[in-house]
Amino acid sequence: MPASLLLLCLAGFGLIGWLTARAKAQRLNTGRGVLHSLPGHHGWHVALWIVVPALVGWVIWAIVSPGMIYAALMASPEAASLPTNPMERDSILSEAFQLAANPGSLAFNPLAENFVGVVNGINSKFNSIGTALVAIIAFCGGAFGYTKIKAKFPARTRVEFAVMAGLLIASLMAILTTVGIIATLVFETGRFFAVVSPVDFLTGLRWSPQDGTGPEVSQTYGAIPLFWGTIFIGAIIAMIVAIPLGLMGAIYLTQYASATVRRWVKPLLEILAGVPTVVYGYFAALTVAPMVRDLALALGSENPSTESALAAGVVMGVMIIPFVSSMADDSIAAVPQAMRDGSLAMGATPSETIKRVLIPAALPGIVAGVMLAVSRAIGETMIVVMAAGAAANLSANPFASMTTVTYQIVQLLTGDQEFDSPKTLSAFALGLVLFVVTLILNIIALRVVKRFREAYE
Amino acid sequence: MSNWHTPDANARLKRRYGAERRFKAVGLIAILLSLGFLAFLLVTMVANGVSGINWSFLSNSDSTDAATAGVWGSLKGSLLTMGVTLALSFPMGVCAAIYLEEFAPRQRWVDWVEVSINNLAAVPSVIFGLLGLAMFINVAGMPRSSALVGGVTLALMTMPVIVIAGRNAIKAVPPSIRDAALAVGASRVQTVFHHVLPLALPGILTGTIIGMARALGETAPLLMIGMRAFIATPASGVTDPTSVLPMQIFLWSDEVDQAFVRNTSAAIIVLLVFLLAMNGLAIYLRNKFETRW
Repeated sequence: MPASLLLLCLAGFGLIGWLTARAKAQRLNTGRGVLHSLPGHHGWHVALWIVVPALVGWVIWAIVSPGMIYAALMASPEAASLPTNPMERDSILSEAFQLAANPGSLAFNPLAENFVGVVNGINSKFNSIGTALVAIIAFCGGAFGYTKIKAKFPARTRVEFAVMAGLLIASLMAILTTVGIIATLVFETGRFFAVVSPVDFLTGLRWSPQDGTGPEVSQTYGAIPLFWGTIFIGAIIAMIVAIPLGLMGAIYLTQYASATVRRWVKPLLEILAGVPTVVYGYFAALTVAPMVRDLALALGSENPSTESALAAGVVMGVMIIPFVSSMADDSIAAVPQAMRDGSLAMGATPSETIKRVLIPAALPGIVAGVMLAVSRAIGETMIVVMAAGAAANLSANPFASMTTVTYQIVQLLTGDQEFDSPKTLSAFALGLVLFVVTLILNIIALRVVKRFREAYE
Repeated sequence: MSNWHTPDANARLKRRYGAERRFKAVGLIAILLSLGFLAFLLVTMVANGVSGINWSFLSNSDSTDAATAGVWGSLKGSLLTMGVTLALSFPMGVCAAIYLEEFAPRQRWVDWVEVSINNLAAVPSVIFGLLGLAMFINVAGMPRSSALVGGVTLALMTMPVIVIAGRNAIKAVPPSIRDAALAVGASRVQTVFHHVLPLALPGILTGTIIGMARALGETAPLLMIGMRAFIATPASGVTDPTSVLPMQIFLWSDEVDQAFVRNTSAAIIVLLVFLLAMNGLAIYLRNKFETRW
């Protein structure tokens, strides 16, 4: 039975269980205070007993059945014709499974076609067993729950216990995701470092995974040019655009603009953060990059490339503006009014107050905001994929084409690849570096913000 | 007594007022530059793309010919992906927010949950793509470039946003509501589900819509899980290979044929209209249901 139908049936069983249990509890309800729990709670109790054990059983079945299917397949008489080499055998079998799943597709290995019939037979057999198993568990669970319905049975506490367990599991998902990310990155990076030495990776100056073969493979994975490109685009060019514009924008909006202007301009600025990055990337490639190229020509550069660090960096900076601006806004607003009033009372003009009092007082918050902005900029992918270029250059020329960590991750993992080559594994190593750097930036920034808030409270 | 009207003092005052005006002008210029860039971007897209929007563009799927290519296939893919994302991240996010805000004991592991939620919200999206590729495709064997695997990946990304918004909304419900419910004999679970959650729901929904809008515009993690393929037939289910709207924009932007510039810009307009509608809905919800306690 397909998964969606099975789920639907389970939901239906659950509903039936809920209704019958509630009806029975209602019949027991002969007067005030007779029942411990509301009839609805008894309904939920039975419904949970039907659905949850059945789902658990189904998941366990889904995990163990492929091994049993494989064993059954190997025991079938047709298996005798398979080659004895386990790798060859497995590739034929996996192809047979593919064919059984999509009947229209073509076989690469003619042997696989002989197995489609066998696979189909075994699949359907195990599918029926699984369905029957789920049905039996659901029935037993429901029957058990149903016998529990008594006037004094504490159905409510049981149901609430289950609800609490559900909430707990949901909140553990966040930890699970973090652990999943770290485990994935560390595991694949470990496999990469089995081929390429970590020292070469972190300090090498040459990045050209395409021609990495033989004993020199380690020398072609020097990631310094990527780190430099990432820092140059994300932390230098983008910040040169974003910090002045974001900071001055925030100062103008909070200190000078009237309430009406602020009400209209602030959401408009927020739109800048809401535009998808692929749109920025397209804009950078279509409009900004040719302008930068013309600028480079006018400055006397010969044959500048259309893909430049400057185009990507400027557009990224614009994307970051609302981010810097809202962080600056928050930290300036957190400076106590008394400090501002004191400065103004001493005869300082508003701009002097801002420059000499507010900004120094808000500096930790602003710096933390900039760090968060940097961590966002270096993790940004689409703009650099569309506008920055693939060549790993180690140069300080903003008109040069430059590549970044995120660009290379995308480049290495899209298109035809074998999953186990050092080329694809290196993407995970780059991902790990990116993850660690953004994590450190975020942790420091959040800590600075927290301490800064406490200082003024 | 000092004399305030010496020529020297006047000149200094003039200089200071001049600095004041210049400072203000710089702030205004910063705002105008930012807004000018936004206007420039939008005008460029509209100028390039508005002529490309017609019924056949909205109802056709991808094609190698720019004139017959349309966005329906990728739009449908986006809707399917968003459906999977919403179905996973909304219940999970709300449940996690309820637990952390209402029931969690003050213990060490709860701090770890909070730290990891805050960090997940700031992890670069491309990392989620790596997770999706390694875990969901290579380990769990989900179908490549399908709405299912895309939706699950984006759900992991969206969940922290929903949890953070949900916690703020739940925190904003005054304790007197809880006390009143508990005082008339409701259990803690009943208090939360019958009283706190309905009051917090508008805030949670606003956060959810904003998270979904972010997921709708997301491209990088989907690149990792193979949604880069050319797909000419709309997907009929969540396990079919599909494209999504931002990915369609990315694919068309790579085309050499100049005619695709119009298509790309038109698809961007469609995407921006969707995002604008979602954000508008979020603002409307916030304004309509916002309660000041």
